[in-house]
Amino acid sequence: MSGNRARGTTQPAEANRNTRRMSNPSDISPTPCGQTGDQTLRNHSIYTQLMETVLSFMKLMTGDQQQDPALEEQKHSQAIREQEALLGHLMIQTVKHLQSGATGGHKFQLPCPSMHSRDNVRGGQQAQSSRKTCRDTFISSDLSSRGLDISSLYHSSFQDYNTYQGNKYDKKNNTLGFINLGTSENKLCIDLLTERLRRSDMNYVDDNLLQYPDWRGQPFLRKEVAQFLTTYCKAPAHLDPENVVVLNGCSSVLSSLAMVLCDPGEAFLVPTPFSSGFIFSACLYAKVELLPVHLDSWVAGANTSPFQLSVGKLEQVLFEAKMEGKKVRGLLLTNPQNPLGDVYSRDSLMDYLEFAKRYHLHVIIDEIYMLSVFDEAITFHSVLSIESLPDPSKTHVIWGTSKDFGISGLCFGALYTFNKAVASAVSSFGSLHSISSIAQYKLRQLLQDREWLDSTYLPINHFRLRTAHKYITNELKALNVPFLNRGSGLFVWINLRKYLHPRTFEEELLLHRHFLDKKLILSPGKSFMCKDPGWFRLVFADNHLLLRSAMHRFHQVLLEQERNWTRRQLEDAIEEDLLTSNTAAATRPHSSNLKG
Amino acid sequence: MSTLCQKETRTPATCLGSGSAQGLHTSNGDDVERECSRKPDQKPLKRYRVGDPTAMFSPNSPHLSSRGSIIKWFWDSAEEGYRTYHMDEYDEDKNPNGIINLGTSENKLCFDLLTRRLSQSDMLRVEPSLLQYPDWRGRPFLREEVARFLSFYCKSPAPLKPENVVVLNGCASLFSALATVLCEAGEAFLIPAPYYGSITQHVCLYGGVRLVCVYLDSEVTGLETRPFQLTVEKLEMALQGANSEGVKVKGLILINPHNPLGDVYSLGELQEYLDFAKRHELHVIVDEIYLLSVFEKSVEFHSVLSLERLPDSQRTHVMWAASKDFGMSGIRFGTLYTENRDVATAVASLCRYHSLSGLVQYQMAQLFRDRDWINQVYLPENHARLKAAHTYVSEELRALGIPFLSRGAGFFIWANLGKYLPEATFEQEMLLWRRFLDNKVLLSFGKAFECKEPGWFRLVFSDRMHRLRLGMQRVRQVLEGESQVAADAPSCQTQEPRGPRSHCED
Repeated sequence: MSGNRARGTTQPAEANRNTRRMSNPSDISPTPCGQTGDQTLRNHSIYTQLMETVLSFMKLMTGDQQQDPALEEQKHSQAIREQEALLGHLMIQTVKHLQSGATGGHKFQLPCPSMHSRDNVRGGQQAQSSRKTCRDTFISSDLSSRGLDISSLYHSSFQDYNTYQGNKYDKKNNTLGFINLGTSENKLCIDLLTERLRRSDMNYVDDNLLQYPDWRGQPFLRKEVAQFLTTYCKAPAHLDPENVVVLNGCSSVLSSLAMVLCDPGEAFLVPTPFSSGFIFSACLYAKVELLPVHLDSWVAGANTSPFQLSVGKLEQVLFEAKMEGKKVRGLLLTNPQNPLGDVYSRDSLMDYLEFAKRYHLHVIIDEIYMLSVFDEAITFHSVLSIESLPDPSKTHVIWGTSKDFGISGLCFGALYTFNKAVASAVSSFGSLHSISSIAQYKLRQLLQDREWLDSTYLPINHFRLRTAHKYITNELKALNVPFLNRGSGLFVWINLRKYLHPRTFEEELLLHRHFLDKKLILSPGKSFMCKDPGWFRLVFADNHLLLRSAMHRFHQVLLEQERNWTRRQLEDAIEEDLLTSNTAAATRPHSSNLKG
Repeated sequence: MSTLCQKETRTPATCLGSGSAQGLHTSNGDDVERECSRKPDQKPLKRYRVGDPTAMFSPNSPHLSSRGSIIKWFWDSAEEGYRTYHMDEYDEDKNPNGIINLGTSENKLCFDLLTRRLSQSDMLRVEPSLLQYPDWRGRPFLREEVARFLSFYCKSPAPLKPENVVVLNGCASLFSALATVLCEAGEAFLIPAPYYGSITQHVCLYGGVRLVCVYLDSEVTGLETRPFQLTVEKLEMALQGANSEGVKVKGLILINPHNPLGDVYSLGELQEYLDFAKRHELHVIVDEIYLLSVFEKSVEFHSVLSLERLPDSQRTHVMWAASKDFGMSGIRFGTLYTENRDVATAVASLCRYHSLSGLVQYQMAQLFRDRDWINQVYLPENHARLKAAHTYVSEELRALGIPFLSRGAGFFIWANLGKYLPEATFEQEMLLWRRFLDNKVLLSFGKAFECKEPGWFRLVFSDRMHRLRLGMQRVRQVLEGESQVAADAPSCQTQEPRGPRSHCED
């Protein structure tokens, strides 16, 4: 296997960087793994969705399974490595371009991943034609260069997400379909929500709902959101509906905030690992850079737990950025944290807010998981619960119903800010991120039904989350897989580094691919910009039967991973043996001649 | 269309009503015809203007980025009219002295039909899949229905394809997304002016894209047959002008039926504009949001999707929405139809920021599927009501001797109140607009549509009779008072040159 991996025939990816033409097959060969530098690795897989690109490779693999197993495995493995390098290249280009987009003028060319796999494995006519398609796709003169970037993101992510959508696991009809424990969605209470949304009080239409809305959100919904947040965030005083802006999702809120708080090329600090969606929201439209504040996976120094955020780390990254001449405008926090599941203590929260105030930074706090704290021993502190905020005019809170209610399809996100200028500026985007008044009405009904929330939904949701979490963590313990045991969010952050040989991001991606082979989707740590390879996020907020099948597949993959490692070691040993005996043969110079 | 044109052009130039100027003050004794075509100043005007919304203001907020301050200005400047209205909305019972809104282009004539239809049991379905992460292009069932719907109502020669459909939360988002994927920041679209002014904001906010106004004249000259006629010559001049200023033009925006003019382009005209665009490799965005609101039977609307062969199908992008034709701007449904897969894909990848609730997508599909209701109940009734309301308001304007344009499509009448301005300036136009607002009636002034001649106003007539009557009464009060005020108006009024913009619609 190792021989295949070396793949010396390829040329560096730089060959097709900055070109607008689609080059010939040898030009577009991916970067050899050995040449994929650290820099590259740090950037290249920050998009969760990009990882799903790999889904398309699967079809390719399964198509060739009937041939000679050994030969097939070589091919298979080579294809994987090439795809992986290509994927890496793709992501680097995308990220670099998104981040440098502000300066303009920088043109780049993305190879088309799915066609590339055909190039490598099948070649010939098919590759010719698909390459043509690819050229047509990516050299379109119809799109602006930023349009091209956006389009290439789609090609590399959404299409493959659609592949999953087209082949979903279904306990009746498609037990061999993909199980998605990669997307953070709470599917445990969809029955409760469906039932609640079907009740007759939801079905209301009047003239007012059919007319142009207040672009900040319907007054009745803003009022309800203010009341809701007052209660569930335990605000010391009533929150003001005038400080609420309602848009069609938290991504839209973040995108608008990035627009109004930063100029292109300016930056936010983000404790890392963090949700990859932030990158889309900050970069796609706003061209705002996210500067990772890397957290250590190991407890060291003053840290009392892994991945702990400290003011020291924030300051360090801030200073480095300043040295490089970057303008940092804010700090982006998620609490409860995604993917770690951490909940910040009140003291830590105050430390971060004080830090931000000291350096005149805005703080955006995404509290989208605030009602998904299912461990009763944990107390969540919303920033809105703080008596006197260090810098209220620079503190902006985001919340939505996608996670806490598992209704991402309803498309609702809200901003609470004490800063009227920010609220006004974000409201300008109201017409571009507007949410249907009919949906606004239903959301109001939902949020105001405290009886249902407090005695039905929240207790049941927490119970189900707890049960699912317990099941998954017990399984992980049985498999001896280390993980962060937190009591909030919809996921566990697990450590599979012992299955990586060597412990690199290439191996992480391979393992990820291996899961995909078994039709199991997890999110690799790299898509959260985690700096240590081997971490995965596993979403457990799904029904028990599905989780059981998923854990079965998970176990299978780990077993195979171990077997493969053993076999690789054996092969290497044999190869070494052979090499030794060959060398030995070579040192007996004329032995064959003697025979002849 | 021809009948209507004839009727309207019986009195020359801007088709004023038969009442003419009798008994009304007309400045300097000009007859109305001359007045309509009067130039605001003597210097020859540029026939185009490169818009730059960002150059219009200077304020800065300490907490916002510089672009954030510009963005905030967009919001604040919309405040005066629309938000004054919202704080003091007319209500027959609760607030009879509140403001009547004849400024926002909304169809309020059919809420009874629509609320009834939307309350029927087939609309109430809630499926788990509708609550979860969507296909960002729009749910497949809805895209299929939209393709069928547009094939039928746009009379496309072949069935339209669901793959070419992208669904978003309104045409505002669509303008924004198209501007972003078709242009670099600082590049521009051509747009015939007057035009529905909010497009300026839509293409600018995220996209940083500018609009080059192709100025149309109220005066009919040369081979033109009607006021404010768009000709290829004017397009060519504007394009050359923009190029000479170093502004890169990437496309042309057409609104058909037109807002605020109510024009419907003939097949020949449409073909000419598309050929012009093809010649210069320009994209054409055709906003057909009023396609089903052609209420005059003699007027024939031609969708670009009905053309047998588009000159440049890869660069032709059609938008439609439910806001106008179904009078449901609060639902936020908009759609793009383009044969260009790259454009569809690029727009779709921005859709996570412009998505529409799954439950609402389901309702829209149900609505578009119900052809019996649309064809037998909704459209005939809607057109009859639009026509009745239109007739009422045009009669009122004629009685006042106010020249106006109206061609049997859309929700509005484009009226020339120039004779009520003591001076032909936009400051005076703004003053008149404020007087209307003070008298509790909200109209839209021509400047908000980038009209180059002061004095034009857009009057929306698609409202219930009791409100229309009151609204027109208030308009008349102002104008009749105004004509006296005008006689001894102070010669110079200092006014901030930039007034509030019209409310952001789509």
